[in-house]
Amino acid sequence: MKRLLGVALGILTAIGGFVDIGDLVTNAVVGSRFGLSLVWVVAVGVVGICLFANMSGRVAAASGRATFEVIRERLGARAGLANLSASFLINLMTVTAEIGGVALALQLASSVNYLLWIPVAAVAVWLVIWRVKFSIMENVTGLLGLTLIVFAVALFMLKPDWGSLAGQLVPSVPEQETAWTYSYYAIALFGAAMTPYEVFFFSSGAVEEGWNVKDLIQSRINVLAGFPLGGLLSVAIAGCAAVVLLPAGIAVTSLSQVILPVAEGAGKLGLAFVLVGVVAATFGAALETTLSSGYTLAQYFGWSWGKFRRPAQAARFHLAMIVCLLVGSAVLATGVDPVLVTEYSVVFSAIALPLTYLPILIVANDPQYMGKHVNGRAVNMLGMVYLVIILVASVAAIPLMIVTGGGS
Amino acid sequence: MILGDLLGTAVHDPDGGWLGRVADARFVLDGTPRQLLAEPRLLGLVVSPHSVASFLGYERTGLTQPWPLANLLRWRHRGSFLVMWEDIAMIGAGSVRLRPGFIRYNPQLDDRGQE
Repeated sequence: MKRLLGVALGILTAIGGFVDIGDLVTNAVVGSRFGLSLVWVVAVGVVGICLFANMSGRVAAASGRATFEVIRERLGARAGLANLSASFLINLMTVTAEIGGVALALQLASSVNYLLWIPVAAVAVWLVIWRVKFSIMENVTGLLGLTLIVFAVALFMLKPDWGSLAGQLVPSVPEQETAWTYSYYAIALFGAAMTPYEVFFFSSGAVEEGWNVKDLIQSRINVLAGFPLGGLLSVAIAGCAAVVLLPAGIAVTSLSQVILPVAEGAGKLGLAFVLVGVVAATFGAALETTLSSGYTLAQYFGWSWGKFRRPAQAARFHLAMIVCLLVGSAVLATGVDPVLVTEYSVVFSAIALPLTYLPILIVANDPQYMGKHVNGRAVNMLGMVYLVIILVASVAAIPLMIVTGGGS
Repeated sequence: MILGDLLGTAVHDPDGGWLGRVADARFVLDGTPRQLLAEPRLLGLVVSPHSVASFLGYERTGLTQPWPLANLLRWRHRGSFLVMWEDIAMIGAGSVRLRPGFIRYNPQLDDRGQE
């Protein structure tokens, strides 16, 4: 019974933890401009993140090494440093976007300007990282994030014409858009679903919680059940936007537009739920991305790291995270639009994907690390297919960004 | 000199002919035992004619998966060889020169990381 409860808790946490500010904004933007014609990308992204989260979890459990330790060992100091620079900067951009997301959601709940909420959000993130136990932190934000299911509820309450909504599922470019913008947002959506920080966090979390190979079954269930359900939440967000905003000709540019369909479909109660959900999801992701900054830096430079150590025993790890939070807050204090930061962060994530996923794939095949837990044939075939997809998305992202002027 | 300066340096045969560049250094652990490990001894340098990028672990013959990746990485390092430290005549700035009669050893390692 206790075991069953553990599995249920893990799945629920994975669902709630799947959605972050990148998924919220990108899915709403895409829904409001392309309807459901890009849902296939979410499906491709979810299969990909399941594949590589599982792989990195298995590497962590079998070898005791988190992802960036593996990158450093396999790529060497120089190529590893180049990888770290790119991964770290993009992660920092994501930290900034998540803190901005928390602040924007709190603004919607309180009518106090988001700029005033930024220091509150940053200090709260720091306090949780400093004080709260890893498993509690994970479960509380994950479970509160589950309230985002209200997007699915609202979709039903909006009573859409399901037939025409299902008709939108066919991949096609809407009349008012070009093939370029369609491809650009496909990459953004892919980047939002497969953000590298999830893998840094997932594998480091496995080390934090002291997984060994026996725990792999539980982690596999969490990922394989939780992430696809989290993906369905993403689709519900896009669906709400497609039903309410697309016909009205409103292209999403702010967080209030993301949750507007929920208010229309599910009323005040729905609005209350969605605000809790957005705060929890972005706050949870702010914790994960901030920790990921600390993890990547500490693992590359060989500092002692982890929340399982007291802060005094992992001083550089904690200091690095404080600096990241300060930098992120400073960037937001310039008044840059957090939604815009988010939109760019998911595309840059897509560009950086091969840097993270290639080393994982290589090490997951190395018996010196993995023993008998090396990748099977099917996983390798799928891994290679995804490596090609990731490379194509990565190479195409910048040209598409220039051609479309950032998707506008 | 640090190893980082040596990697990527051009390697020439005794007559000045181009052989490739230093891609890796091979060490053996057979020295006096210290606290954690035996003291490493430099066995020789791996010279690669086409690429100085890392082997990413595929210098070991036991690694064959995933095959497109393994083959691609092996292909980039085709023709690479190991020269013993004793066969190196001179290490200068920007160039390594080998002694006459140097021997090209197979750079691959078996599954246990042994020659």
